[in-house]
Amino acid sequence: MTHDEVNLSVDIAGVKLANPLMTCSGTCGYATEYADIVDLRQLGAFVTKSITAGPRVGNDYPRVVETRAGMLNAIGLANVGLEAFLDEKVPLLESLGVPVFVNVAGREIADYVAVAERLDEVDVVRGIELNISCPNVKAGGIQFGTDGAMAGEITAAVKAACRRNILIVKLSPNVTDIAAIAAAVVEAGADALSLVNTFTAMAIDIETRRPILANRTGGLSGPAIRPIAVHMVDRVYRQVARDAGVPIIGMGGIQYAHDAIEFLLAGATAVAVGTALFVDARCLIEIRDGIADYLRRHGHASITEIIGALDRE
Amino acid sequence: MSSPAPTRSKGAFAARVLANRSLGLDHYRLRLGVAGFPRSQPGQFINVRCGVAGQEGPQPLEWPEGGLPRPTGPELAGVQPLLRRPFSLAGRVDKDDGTVELDIIHHVVGVGTARLAELGVGAEVSVIGPLGRGFTVVADRPVAALVGGGVGVPPLLYLAETLQDAGVRAVAFAGARTARALPLRIDPSEPPSQAGWPTLCTAEFAARHTPTVVATDDGSLGVTGFVDKALLPWLDSPNVRAGEVAVYACGPAPMIKAVADIAAARAMPCQLALERHMACGMGTCQGCAVKVKAAGDTGWAFQLVCKDGPVFDANDLYWE
Repeated sequence: MTHDEVNLSVDIAGVKLANPLMTCSGTCGYATEYADIVDLRQLGAFVTKSITAGPRVGNDYPRVVETRAGMLNAIGLANVGLEAFLDEKVPLLESLGVPVFVNVAGREIADYVAVAERLDEVDVVRGIELNISCPNVKAGGIQFGTDGAMAGEITAAVKAACRRNILIVKLSPNVTDIAAIAAAVVEAGADALSLVNTFTAMAIDIETRRPILANRTGGLSGPAIRPIAVHMVDRVYRQVARDAGVPIIGMGGIQYAHDAIEFLLAGATAVAVGTALFVDARCLIEIRDGIADYLRRHGHASITEIIGALDRE
Repeated sequence: MSSPAPTRSKGAFAARVLANRSLGLDHYRLRLGVAGFPRSQPGQFINVRCGVAGQEGPQPLEWPEGGLPRPTGPELAGVQPLLRRPFSLAGRVDKDDGTVELDIIHHVVGVGTARLAELGVGAEVSVIGPLGRGFTVVADRPVAALVGGGVGVPPLLYLAETLQDAGVRAVAFAGARTARALPLRIDPSEPPSQAGWPTLCTAEFAARHTPTVVATDDGSLGVTGFVDKALLPWLDSPNVRAGEVAVYACGPAPMIKAVADIAAARAMPCQLALERHMACGMGTCQGCAVKVKAAGDTGWAFQLVCKDGPVFDANDLYWE
């Protein structure tokens, strides 16, 4: 192995990332929680927990349950709301020194637009990640993400509110044809795609014969979903994103450098880590360094050489 | 107290197994050595990675000639817990060389705790901590009642040590389903009182000068019945003054509620350590919600057991 410098920087619709490592929304809070464990300034970009116009208390308990090689969550978009986010959390994010993307959720299109307009005036925020794929709230969220026409409509509306920020649309895997939804939001002006969100799932307490989660269902994440997520990135890259020139942020069960490299080869320009942060947030650094080792071992000078480099013959 | 050097309040550490001892009926005491572990309080917990030591990432598969590869990666090598497991500290000893010895006592209930039970001396274990908000010694209460059920007993051992240092007289009430499920060693020369009088009957509490009442659901040791019932004869005896007592408890939800009611009826301060399933253990995933009293229409708000607790004042909790 040589120790030549390799270039890990990537470009997400004009936002320069020092490396492709990002956090998945909702798994890294507002960046202060892990400060004693890992230096988040080493990240390529930071993605916040979902923000809604007003505060949300979230779902009743139990909210999480571990399953084999994964976990279900039904937090219910618990968050401090836009105003408290601007007052209390933005100053913390400013000290990070990396691009921040804010995940935005809502009930009506007007909610999303109002939040996106305010965030367009915040310097540290470089992009909106549109959450049209949360499986754990009764109204809003996923209803926009499972219908191509509605997904396109909300994308266009929020895009109009993003004069400075880029617009990333986070897609739900709970659809028959994820490429069709991807095509609809790209057509409507999405600058980048995040895929995938969690899979709607259920765990049952066989003694009480009730669902374990208070919300009955939750979103499955973790290593269990990774092969499906890789497949969906490959499919959206081939059928939509490559030709449209729209970057993909790949996520779903990434825990080791090996996993991240699968997503990059399948067509992701950046990768985000979620559930693995709950296990050990230091994995962000190990994954970044592992990708650099892989590039050296295969004689690449830049990470861009392996994006979408899957042998498709 | 001399001004401590500025340190992180928590961190991720590679701990070394110093001892791993069975306490009978699937309970184990695990002693971990951790260099530079930050200051901690009783009631705080550590989040422990329970996978196989030394097998952190997937390994490339070797293809033997004329055969099939033998998968050894973590996803293929057998059932591995993904998330860490939270355990309250049962005790802490600071050594002169800067090593901190941490005790946890656990009950094998699944694949994570089964892995911990198998660990040999010298094995490396990844630990994050100390986490959460622990017990606060109530300054104007010179007597403490420590009430623990099952694996709720361990944090009270650590608390008994702190109370002893603070000059508080403590009495422990330790409950379990049956004698063998009590995670404590009984002194054979001084069996627990069946009438519910505190004696130096358990080795662990006796070492902290804390007389103890034992209760078992099946009557196989000490008082027959739930531990909260065993608290009453002592609490209401003429030589105990209600105005001097604070109650500290940890255990299953029904026990916690019963203890809170007993303390409330006597206007005693009461701190409760709660248990919840957690993913991250430090306030990020928001999985371990609990309702606390709050202003507003509903009268409650969610807090997090991992960050705002696990110890809560009984008066702050919203009981449904």
